[in-house]
Amino acid sequence: MMALLLRSRREPFHQRALGVLALLAALLALSLAWSASSGTFGLSPLTLISDQADALSVQVWWQLRLPRLLLGAAVGAMLAGSGAAMQGLFRNPLADPTLLGLASGAGLFVALWIVLFQGAGHGAGPVSLYGQFIAGFLGALSVCAVVFGLAQRQGGGSAAVMTLLLAGLAINTLAGAGGGILAFIASDEQLRQLSLWGMGTLTHSLWRTTLVALVLIPLALIGLLRSARELDLLQLGETTAHGAGLDAPRLKRRVVVATSLGVGLCVALTGVIGFLGLLVPHCLRLWLGPGHRLLLPASMLGGAILLVVADTLARTLAAPAEIPVGLLTSLLGGPYFLYLLMRRSRTC
Amino acid sequence: MLTLHGAALTTPPTLAPLDGSVRPGELLAIVGPNGAGKSTLLSLLSGFRACQAGAIRLDGRDLAQWPVYALASRRAMVAQQEPPGFDWRVEELIALGSDPDPALVTQLLDQMDLLDLSDRSILTLSGGERQRVLIARGVCQLLSRRSHAATDGGLLLLDEPTSALDIGQQQRLMRQLRHWAHQHAMAIVCVLHDLNLASLYADRVWLIDNGARAAHGTPAQVLTPERLTSVYGAELQILSNATGTAPLFALVP
Repeated sequence: MMALLLRSRREPFHQRALGVLALLAALLALSLAWSASSGTFGLSPLTLISDQADALSVQVWWQLRLPRLLLGAAVGAMLAGSGAAMQGLFRNPLADPTLLGLASGAGLFVALWIVLFQGAGHGAGPVSLYGQFIAGFLGALSVCAVVFGLAQRQGGGSAAVMTLLLAGLAINTLAGAGGGILAFIASDEQLRQLSLWGMGTLTHSLWRTTLVALVLIPLALIGLLRSARELDLLQLGETTAHGAGLDAPRLKRRVVVATSLGVGLCVALTGVIGFLGLLVPHCLRLWLGPGHRLLLPASMLGGAILLVVADTLARTLAAPAEIPVGLLTSLLGGPYFLYLLMRRSRTC
Repeated sequence: MLTLHGAALTTPPTLAPLDGSVRPGELLAIVGPNGAGKSTLLSLLSGFRACQAGAIRLDGRDLAQWPVYALASRRAMVAQQEPPGFDWRVEELIALGSDPDPALVTQLLDQMDLLDLSDRSILTLSGGERQRVLIARGVCQLLSRRSHAATDGGLLLLDEPTSALDIGQQQRLMRQLRHWAHQHAMAIVCVLHDLNLASLYADRVWLIDNGARAAHGTPAQVLTPERLTSVYGAELQILSNATGTAPLFALVP
């Protein structure tokens, strides 16, 4: 185990990648098993296999716990993976779907959908679910387009970083105000729906929602994984990268669409779960180096682990009540972001 | 290898139609005042920017017709430095854009005087050291992606490769460029600010002024004091021209 952790970046790439990813996959399996067996209606995999549990708890486990586990892993992988990809795209370790306003933009669009377009009585129907998802995707996509347009106009350099973060701040503020207005004009039923969804929680996962995530999120993840080599090249700067064989516009389109799709879907399903996309890739980059061929899949596994663990804590710490997991990750990520900023201002 | 047929840009930054060629094994220097269009011309030669009139052909095929990926095995570009984002190790950075033989990487590290730094993060390097790493990466791309059928070493485009180097490193780099040009029949085009370096090391010089080529030929033909004074608006004195070698210049204080 220690030998694995201490592997140097000079080892042959495939050997090292295999070791790292196998270790992370094992950790993910462990955290899933732990999460499965903890809390009310927890059943350890062993109990399940040996058929010792009573029928009711098995049924509850299958209907409620399993989809929640899988959704948590998928959303965690998506948020951390898109964080890593956006950081590569902006060539900046501070890019993150929450900080840049992607998540809150998606959130605003979902809230718009719930309050303005969703007919009464459709609360749980498929129209509502897919409508929310499409709204989330469009919200994330439009924010991504705005932010990326700004970044392009500014070129590289520290001014651009500042602009990006400020743009994210502005979008977050706008989305917050928009959300407030929507909450003000919403009916009681819509208000309840909004607040249930808005805090960032995996509580409402059912197979119906989880299946959508389990189909679409892997598509977005594959889109990102296929961009790994090109993201590496982009780090040379656009002119040099073009000289090294990179079709930058195609890469940007692919990453922007995949992250918007993934983040929009995550926000539509679980609300805003912040900072995962900043925290996970940053820690892994310290360990593994900046190469995206390893960083992207490792971030996806790491994000899945972190969200499954955080969700289990959110479920059990204040049992029988639940803390929204989004609050937990923000409690973890906010201070870390401040620490990053302080460290950067010292080195720059 | 590379031929220009009235290649031009008609919208700003404009570039007057250019004819000419770049041949395997030669070192071509592009010189000219700030804002003359040197970097723009280099990005045209690399295919990053498409020309709006005329054509540029590589191996007889229009640059615009080359797939970006295939082009990368024939020409490499080293643009002016951008601030590095992440902490690549020197060896990792050199391998970006190709799948190089470790022996080639070691050889390039040695040639660029970087062997001691191979394991360092580029964030900890000085500007000059980083510049040498980026140049080594470009050469690495050309040499390791070269097809077996190729009879020459491809086209290396460098934008101000000596801008961050001390005088000793400038000499070593220019000698090394000539060595690569001859050894691999590589065509090297570099934008240079230092006229003396162009004079000492380039086979041919293009003098760009105000979006047009003011002169081209050997350093001795192009770099005359009268022309340089009018193009740069600088008062110059010639230090040596008598021995038949290229002219060297100094500013008149």
